[in-house]
Amino acid sequence: MNRIIIFLVALITLGCLPGCKKFLERPPEGKIQEEDALSTEEGVLAFLNASYTKFNGGHFYGGRLQVLKELLADHLEGQLLTEDFGEIYRRKTSIFGAFKNDFYMDACNIVYRSNTIMKYLDKTGSQRNNIEGQAKFLRGVAFFEIVRLFAQPYGSTPDNTHPGIPIRLQPGITNLDRVSVKDAYNQVITDLTDAARLLPESNGANPTKYAALAFLAKVYFQMNDFAKAYSFADQVLSVRSGADFLFKLDADLTNRYSIGKCKEAIFIASNQMGQFEPGDELRGNFRSDVSLPVLKYSSRTLSLFGRAGDKRRVWLNDTKYPSNIVLTKYNLPQFDLPIVTVTELKLIRAEAAGELNQNLDIAKADLSDILTRAGLAPLTNADASLVISTARQERELELVGEGSRLNEIKRIGVRNNMNVDRRGSPWNCNGFILQFPDLERASNANFHMNPEGGCF
Amino acid sequence: MPTRLLVGIFSLLLALPLSSLAQNKTITGKITDASNGNPVTGVSITVKGTSGGTSANNDGSFSITVPAATTVLVFSAIGYESREERLTGTNTLNISLKPSTTNLNEVIVIGYGTQRRRDVTGAIAKVGGDKLTSIPAPSFEAALQGRAPGVQVIQGSGLAGSGSVVRVRGVGSISAGGDPLYVVDGIPIISDPFLRKNDGGQNQNPLASINPNDIESIEILKDAGAAGIYGSRGANGVILITTKKGKSGKLRFNYTNRLGFSTWATRPKFLNGPEWLQMRQEAWENDGNTGQAPLPGGLTWEQAQKNNTDWWDLLTRTGFINEHNASMTGGNKWLRSYVGASYSNNESYVKGNAYTRVGMRGNFDFIVTKQIKISLNTSWTRGINKRVPAAWAGGIGDAMSNALPIYPVYNDDKTYFRNGTSNPVFRRDQTKWRNTENRYFGGLTVEYNPIKNLTLRASGIVDYMTSYDDQFESALYMGRTDVPGIAKRYPFWNTNLSGTFTANYNWDLNNDHKFSFLAGTETQEFKQRAYNSDIFAYTDKPFWENRSLYKHNRDSLVNAGQRKKTVTDAWTFVSFFGRINYSIKNKYIFQVLGRIDGSSKFGPNNKYGFFPAASAAWVISEEGFLKDNHLVNFLKLRASYGIVGNADIPAGSYYYRISQGTNYNNAPTLHPDNIGNPDLKWETMRNFDAAVEFGLNNNRITGELAYYHKMTIDQLLNAGIQQNTGFNKAWRNIDGGKILNEGVELSLNVKLLDKKDFTWNIGGNISKNFNKVVSIGTLTADAISGGTNDTRIIVGYPVGTNYLVRFNGADPNDGLPVWLDKNGKTTKTFSLDNRVPVGSVIPDYIGGFNSSWTYKGFELSALFTYVIGGNLYDGSAKRQAGVITDWNIRNDLLDRWRKPGDIAHYPRLTMNTSTYDGLSSEWQYNSTLFLYNADFLRLRELTLRYSIPNKAFKNSRIRDIKVFVSGMNLLTFTKYPGGDPEIGRDFEDKQDRNMSPNVTYLTPPQQKAITFGINLNF
Repeated sequence: MNRIIIFLVALITLGCLPGCKKFLERPPEGKIQEEDALSTEEGVLAFLNASYTKFNGGHFYGGRLQVLKELLADHLEGQLLTEDFGEIYRRKTSIFGAFKNDFYMDACNIVYRSNTIMKYLDKTGSQRNNIEGQAKFLRGVAFFEIVRLFAQPYGSTPDNTHPGIPIRLQPGITNLDRVSVKDAYNQVITDLTDAARLLPESNGANPTKYAALAFLAKVYFQMNDFAKAYSFADQVLSVRSGADFLFKLDADLTNRYSIGKCKEAIFIASNQMGQFEPGDELRGNFRSDVSLPVLKYSSRTLSLFGRAGDKRRVWLNDTKYPSNIVLTKYNLPQFDLPIVTVTELKLIRAEAAGELNQNLDIAKADLSDILTRAGLAPLTNADASLVISTARQERELELVGEGSRLNEIKRIGVRNNMNVDRRGSPWNCNGFILQFPDLERASNANFHMNPEGGCF
Repeated sequence: MPTRLLVGIFSLLLALPLSSLAQNKTITGKITDASNGNPVTGVSITVKGTSGGTSANNDGSFSITVPAATTVLVFSAIGYESREERLTGTNTLNISLKPSTTNLNEVIVIGYGTQRRRDVTGAIAKVGGDKLTSIPAPSFEAALQGRAPGVQVIQGSGLAGSGSVVRVRGVGSISAGGDPLYVVDGIPIISDPFLRKNDGGQNQNPLASINPNDIESIEILKDAGAAGIYGSRGANGVILITTKKGKSGKLRFNYTNRLGFSTWATRPKFLNGPEWLQMRQEAWENDGNTGQAPLPGGLTWEQAQKNNTDWWDLLTRTGFINEHNASMTGGNKWLRSYVGASYSNNESYVKGNAYTRVGMRGNFDFIVTKQIKISLNTSWTRGINKRVPAAWAGGIGDAMSNALPIYPVYNDDKTYFRNGTSNPVFRRDQTKWRNTENRYFGGLTVEYNPIKNLTLRASGIVDYMTSYDDQFESALYMGRTDVPGIAKRYPFWNTNLSGTFTANYNWDLNNDHKFSFLAGTETQEFKQRAYNSDIFAYTDKPFWENRSLYKHNRDSLVNAGQRKKTVTDAWTFVSFFGRINYSIKNKYIFQVLGRIDGSSKFGPNNKYGFFPAASAAWVISEEGFLKDNHLVNFLKLRASYGIVGNADIPAGSYYYRISQGTNYNNAPTLHPDNIGNPDLKWETMRNFDAAVEFGLNNNRITGELAYYHKMTIDQLLNAGIQQNTGFNKAWRNIDGGKILNEGVELSLNVKLLDKKDFTWNIGGNISKNFNKVVSIGTLTADAISGGTNDTRIIVGYPVGTNYLVRFNGADPNDGLPVWLDKNGKTTKTFSLDNRVPVGSVIPDYIGGFNSSWTYKGFELSALFTYVIGGNLYDGSAKRQAGVITDWNIRNDLLDRWRKPGDIAHYPRLTMNTSTYDGLSSEWQYNSTLFLYNADFLRLRELTLRYSIPNKAFKNSRIRDIKVFVSGMNLLTFTKYPGGDPEIGRDFEDKQDRNMSPNVTYLTPPQQKAITFGINLNF
């Protein structure tokens, strides 16, 4: 009798075993193994395309980056802010706080995606340069934004050996510590320089060579390296399209956040209704036409717009909600999200020219373009210092609500050793940069965290 | 599966048992209790050597039609010793059964078979189906609370259809699931609470679709000797659910209903509008400010003072409970069938929230020949959960957080007030939400006895579920005027296929040496299919009110290439197993078993695992020296040791996974999901169990005392990597990881009184579990956290240790909080660096005790459940009773410092986190100020039943009528000031579920319900 059992079991076992191996390899259909998915150029392109949903998504340029910077800077009225916002606003972030920590992880995820693309470049074909260029552009910009938020600014120490951020150039989970700010910026510049070399001049909805150059201008400007900042901004702004410039200032101020009207963007995330609607975290935190938003502006900020005829005054509204000043820039259900614009490059070129005391006519013209558009008188007679101060003033107004002010507090702090923060913190106080997430240290006891607090 | 097909099958099969074959005889009679002469109900009567039969009526009478050649009938019932009766020509049999509270011959369902209780060598707790239907629990597993030693059941919340956290003898896992394996009629089913992740403050509960009225019994396999046969899935215990089967005899019908009302068991209390304003003003002035405190929501003081909105009241109601169950059973020589239909609608106390279940079940046994039996088990259930957001997602959670009493519902112009961060009434009015689940279960088993004592069984099942998450938002809610609103549907389809083949041979060498052999193989395949994103339409009503629009939009999105249905989750198991039982003289019983499991979940370097277990039992009362002992009627020692595994991890975690997303810029996207690991495998548990089972004093006192020691190694971890990797988790087995669970369980049942008209039984169980993390490799305390719940995995402490800064009171001089630093020195500076392990979400003791009294036709039964030791952490109290923010304030914060010299529980009020030096935000206020004693005692059930005397309906078809009134959670005793102390909140993932029970975050309190009903047999 036992023989029957043994026979039956053996039969079933034997029958199954050859089929078992395959049966036990069951990746879900929609989830593909990386080495299969990225085995063709088409796959790598789709992988790269997905990176933009992060880069332009809510946790990065789609809003969180700007919100973090606005909170840390001095434009908001934040006395009643609570939770993560309260902590960031009061410049005392800790190891926790999902708003900040998720930003960090998602920014690093952009880096991860680029690193993965580099791993599979040999699977690409005719588009190889474009793919590599885009991956490096995304990685370089991600590192740039992370280092600006999580490390003391470039120039805070003479040789920039102060702690920067972890720089991971290959995907993996090995533990890392931070490199110096100098090394971090070197990596940013290397990536963006490579991107500018590899990317084409025209690239559909994706970043072009000019986008990379524009970011190089931003990076050098942040480093107070005005010669290079000027040079890269000028390279982009001087490009011709026939008789005209390829990149021009939009005539209407309100075009910047609109559907289809923003023409001055050097790189823009277009709204794709029902598919990808960028700027959700901007709308979620600032939009004021529907209900009172979480983030409100101070009366001091409103007073900056006090010059008669300044059309930009409409960006702040102090009547809709009594005793609250709210931003109107993002009052649309959807809009295209410009990542870098002519306005910003003109401001860089002008201020850099002022700092270099060269090409002041170009600087004045750039600033006049911006002033005129705002309904104000153009800048006619100006020396270098007036160019600089005008550029700084117009930048603050033009880019209100876009996170620029924090970069400026720090850049000017380094440049002029001056505390321009209207909330009274030293530009390099501990809490002016964000604390790294708990997991950086919890998984690697040797990781160097930032000192906390101490800004007030 | 088309419903029409099921209906057809049911109709066909219903007709079959009505015919009866010739050459039969009918035996009738009455069964009484030998000790008191009372009729015995629920006695099963079978022809010896067959598995079919009938059961006695509630008055003890029975009637069974058997083949003319039948010679012996077997009478068995829970609580009585079985009795075999030889038929001597008479067609009338009056039988008395001897009570046997140990019920040694009771049949226990074990994995892939059954055993007599006395022969069981593993740890198995059995709960009868009647215990599951005695309260209107949101799901059957919640009714297990307090019923089985070593089984902790934490009911999720008061939301309709809410699931429970079930832990069998503690938790030894970190990131892998800690839930037991659920097996229905022999087949592992899908019970994953994360099928829809954490959606709206509630995890999906696939178990809610199982009708408790269909369940005959539940067996909980606790140790390796019992659960070992489930190999890589046995480590967390196994819950075997056996559904009701058809019985021979005349057609019998049963109808039960339950009607009643529900409300909350106990709720947190908050300040009203004027009180709230007063506290805010006090905080404002404490912070050195003058004038009136600024108010949230853009309100002036004058506006705020006009309002005193009771949001809790606006969002709650008295829920109505409405349940009906009808079933039929009948059978003849060649077919036995059980057919049931049920409807239940359980409204929770939250307005708009209800779980409706409609179901049918048909279980059929065809006796084809003497050797062949075919069984068909089918069921169909539709569960509709009318959802409301809760906890962090809003709704009733808003009423406990940021829907302030100073906010109005409407502005003066009758528009909704929306300047607060939320208006839950606006949301309820302007959104609709429901989850619909259709679950089909079909199992076909062929049982073949080619020769005596050899049984070959082959079975195949389909467990198929369709699930729709339907959401609708009005244009007003969306803040848009260009569209009428949006309807969204997120569907998925689960298919769980399983095939099992077993061979079982019983070999009695002689009367003293008996063997039983089992060998088997099993395969299982699970697939979930879903679209890559939601199907949506801009419309003015939800899709369930406009199905054609759904179909149209679905098709157009699919045709445009924007939506694609793909397999989003899939896994397989292939298993081989065997078991040998050897019994010597019914005294010494040995069992060895082993299982080989291969699974697609394991990495290519670790595809198969082997899980052996050995166990033994010694029935000491069979020994000569105890045989005739009057005090000790039964005594058994048992022990087991084995290795079981846990494979409850997501599929495909071992490889670098890429998923397709929606198009971007009209081109396809591929997203990285994770960081892979080809070495990934199961985690392993070494499990030892020893117990003594006893029956004393004529079996009036029975019970079991058990000890276990479980060491889990190679913990599966999906956490603890640096975020600069781009992720915050990656799956791996912790090298050197070890977690210990060690415990003692005692269960006891005592018949205090056993008179003819009056009986009084008491019973209860208590379990003590000691849980300790022995090693987690090189990771530090913050590396593994339970979501946002401030619980951690720390060496030397239990899984889910509260890691907090110690609060040392408020300084009477200035009212500022005083803390203890790491070394125990007082400090006024709060620092997260001073967090230490201070509490545990795992209780010291759990259990329940029950008592039942019967007097004539009345039966009063009560069940108390309790938890002793352990802590409860309230994450929402950081703002309800911490810093004054734009949140509701809990009543107990009134006990705060106000002026120098005050001795108060809470520090001085402040609106500025910087007042408490070192505190970065309300959320980082991780302190023992919000850690509470988790002890509670709850009157889980109180039921009064009355059996209407037979004479009232003597001449009708009615055999038995019972009416009842029952209360659930009528009383709760707790020291926790924040409402309900029983908390199984919504969880982010399995790790959170393992680490953070007993952590509340705006969790809606449990339901309290009073119901009444009737149970009719005819």
